[in-house]
Amino acid sequence: MRILVVDDSITMRRIISNNLAQAGYEDVVQAGNGVEALSQMNGVNLVLTDWNMPVMDGLTLVKEIRANATFGNVPIVMITTEGAKDEVMEALKNGVNDYIVKPFTKQILLEKVNGILNG
Amino acid sequence: MDVKFINPFIESLINTLEMMVGITPGREQLYIKEDKMTHGDITGIIGFAERNITGSIALSFPNDAALMIYGLMTGENVAQINREVQDSIGELANIVAGGAKSELAKSGLAFHISIPSVIVGKNHAISHKVDTPVVVIPFLIGKAKHRFVMEISMKVLGH
Repeated sequence: MRILVVDDSITMRRIISNNLAQAGYEDVVQAGNGVEALSQMNGVNLVLTDWNMPVMDGLTLVKEIRANATFGNVPIVMITTEGAKDEVMEALKNGVNDYIVKPFTKQILLEKVNGILNG
Repeated sequence: MDVKFINPFIESLINTLEMMVGITPGREQLYIKEDKMTHGDITGIIGFAERNITGSIALSFPNDAALMIYGLMTGENVAQINREVQDSIGELANIVAGGAKSELAKSGLAFHISIPSVIVGKNHAISHKVDTPVVVIPFLIGKAKHRFVMEISMKVLGH
């Protein structure tokens, strides 16, 4: 299972990647924004993306993925500080499968990932 | 500055440290800052604004506290402040502001937050977004009781 972690914060990418590796998800690739993410979608089984990023934000990335004929069905989890109800609804409306609000615990992260990949 | 606007930031900071770092900070008495200087070695600052509210928060840490937080957050120990530690302090400021934003939105006070910036160096000056009194809330973390501060400056129309 290959997981793509997209966040402009290198710290957040490390936290997520290290937590995934400890849980046995060792095929993790990283991107710092939506444009970098789109170039790494080949073979990806799950995308975990931040919302607010430079170059291309997470919501635009979600729209680009959903419009793509090759990888348009890959599940996406948004991991973001944008926790207001309207923002969660907008993300879900645009095709996000699940949503994690920062701050989060390792348990919350793994519950969501396991739920999608093993559900 | 009404305490009801400060509390969401304090609660968000405590919640962020508990969930992302695994520590519960102790809290000391808040005070009003007399000058622009901070005594931290590394500071993350982030602004927020919308029609009815403008302001910024700063999280300022001594080196030891910043290194401890980075190690606990990522599971990776480093000996000195580097690009990754700077990023972690900026991300902490981002998450704290985001948490307060969600809480204040419930009471109808919506705002957008900026990209965080990080300042490194002994006794650096911090320029907050608005020219209002800066509230400083000191916290203590770890067995060594490292002391760091959160600074809040904001202007809320009608308050």
